[in-house]
Amino acid sequence: MSEFLLEVQDLVTSFPGSGSERARVVDGVSFNIRPGEVMALVGESGCGKSVSALSLLRLVPKPGAIESGSVLLDGKDILSLSVPDMRKVRGHEMSMIFQEPMTSLNPVVRVGDQVVEAIRLHEDVSVKAARSRTLELFKQVRIPDPEVRLDAYPHHLSGGLKQRIMIAMALATRPKLIIADEPTTALDVTIQAQILSLLRQLQQELDTAVLLITHDLGVVNELADRISVMYAGRIVEQGDRREVLANPGHPYTRGLLRSMPGLGRPGEPLAEISGMVPAPADWPRGCRFCTRCSEVLDICESEVPARRRLSLTHHVACHAVEATE
Amino acid sequence: MSGDSSQTAPGEPLLRVEGLRTWFPIKSGVFQRTVGHVRAVDGVDITVHAGETVALVGESGCGKTTAGRSLLRLIEPREGVVFFEGRDLLKLPKKELRDARRTAQMVFQDPMSSLNPRLRVRDIIAEGMDSFGIGRDKAERTERVAELLERVQLKADHMSRYPHEFSGGQRQRIGIARALSVEPRLLVLDEAVSALDVSIQAQVLNLLSELQRDLALAYLFITHDLSVVRYLAKRVCVMYLGQVVEEASAEELFRDPQHPYTRGLLSAIPSIDPDRRGLDVSFEGDVPSSANPPSGCRFHTRCPQVMDRCRVEEPQLIQLSGRQSRCFLSEEGSCGVSLG
Repeated sequence: MSEFLLEVQDLVTSFPGSGSERARVVDGVSFNIRPGEVMALVGESGCGKSVSALSLLRLVPKPGAIESGSVLLDGKDILSLSVPDMRKVRGHEMSMIFQEPMTSLNPVVRVGDQVVEAIRLHEDVSVKAARSRTLELFKQVRIPDPEVRLDAYPHHLSGGLKQRIMIAMALATRPKLIIADEPTTALDVTIQAQILSLLRQLQQELDTAVLLITHDLGVVNELADRISVMYAGRIVEQGDRREVLANPGHPYTRGLLRSMPGLGRPGEPLAEISGMVPAPADWPRGCRFCTRCSEVLDICESEVPARRRLSLTHHVACHAVEATE
Repeated sequence: MSGDSSQTAPGEPLLRVEGLRTWFPIKSGVFQRTVGHVRAVDGVDITVHAGETVALVGESGCGKTTAGRSLLRLIEPREGVVFFEGRDLLKLPKKELRDARRTAQMVFQDPMSSLNPRLRVRDIIAEGMDSFGIGRDKAERTERVAELLERVQLKADHMSRYPHEFSGGQRQRIGIARALSVEPRLLVLDEAVSALDVSIQAQVLNLLSELQRDLALAYLFITHDLSVVRYLAKRVCVMYLGQVVEEASAEELFRDPQHPYTRGLLSAIPSIDPDRRGLDVSFEGDVPSSANPPSGCRFHTRCPQVMDRCRVEEPQLIQLSGRQSRCFLSEEGSCGVSLG
């Protein structure tokens, strides 16, 4: 048995491109998650982080398709499961929390009934048993007046409460892994703080592993144990939270951290990353960040940088970095 | 043409908003009778001096967007005064309002829905110049569009393209170029960088500071994001349920917030310092509805320092040295002068 709950190896997911070639929007992504660990997948829009998550659940929208690679959950090969078996894994062993709770809840069904339905889909229990479990879940995610909220419709609830319902639903089947895609991005900052602290408490109480997908490095610092930074379909840096945030090895990670306005001094220009993420058809041949990198070398344009180790747990794909073997 | 022809008296701020109220009726029943009001903006004062940035900050539903739109009368306010360049915009007849508003332009959050998808960039930017008769002829206006595009760090030949051919950051630059085309003195920026990725956001923020320096523009920067405020604004108004609860210079506000709500907002921002983790969630619950705001201090239902008095008595903005706070706690140790 491996020490990892989830092992993703060389995952490639592509979409039809402009010509006959398919654009590999996820291009050789590898990472592992231990049981009870929070791994953050960070990057800007269009870097492939959400498609990576959808690939793990085998929910990549057509005409996108997983081309190659392997995904092992508890040693089980996710990519070769039959469709009915995959359906059992989804929502049972792995569940997902989406960014927009309003669009993921059914507006015409009471929220309690939606959670009951999710429980009964995966477990053979009576409605009564499922309902009392739902009440427990509502208490667990600290919904005020949980008995009353069971019968509320989604539009009765605020954004923060809806996100708590989504979390309750994700926990309903006691999954080993929760994929949380921008779980607090749509929320106000005070509500975000509440949800982040709830997620951390629950994750510690239940020892659930979490794949956290976000563009917000502050959220990452709050929740993550380890960080994978993605740029243009590839992971460019991976390491423990402290290593990556305190000692970023890749120029892209450094750029992301420095362009946070909270760090800028009023009156001085903010550090910016020039240009923008190119479209997949225009991704450079060598290092994909070379068109925006302030430390670019000749070799970067022609050769894909290999992974260089900075420590046992921290590695960076950059030509300018000296490995410490 | 705008800078010199200012009608603002010396010492008078460019924009002075006092007691602004915008209420929306709640209608109910078969006859759609008005049964109450959503007090979206309920007595707001804002002062913006020429060339400076004032931020209006708050969470969703606090009324910051409605306030920004009401002062330009994109939404008609119920009462108040909005002195802009020496004239009260709320008293102007529609015809004169149109000209008065030329020098106060708005930039919206979502550039995709605020740029007409069927017009080329040239026509989007030149539209305002056409209607205000800026530039002698079409050729001169086109030339000016080219200048504006370069000013916002796009290329002159982008003018023949359509909005969908641009990225979010580029579209926001087009929105800014359009606002600049009529030579404004004030830009009302409503969540103008909120939808952008952090690296692109940094580019647009840098562009905004550059433009402010070169063109002496004043900004009313409406946002929910306090970290952007710290970087950009000189003064900050924090709004909660339709009212300003604290007003201070950005430096003082971040160093020593007075109102419990401001303190909570600041401590809820996640840090990227790996040694600082664990957010303060000192106040719980959600923002109450502004159709039925709590009695007394509107924040008392969430305030960690609530006193009996706060539940019944409404605090006024208390004048402290160079700043204001709408909280009874600020009365102690202050000069204790209450402003009505």
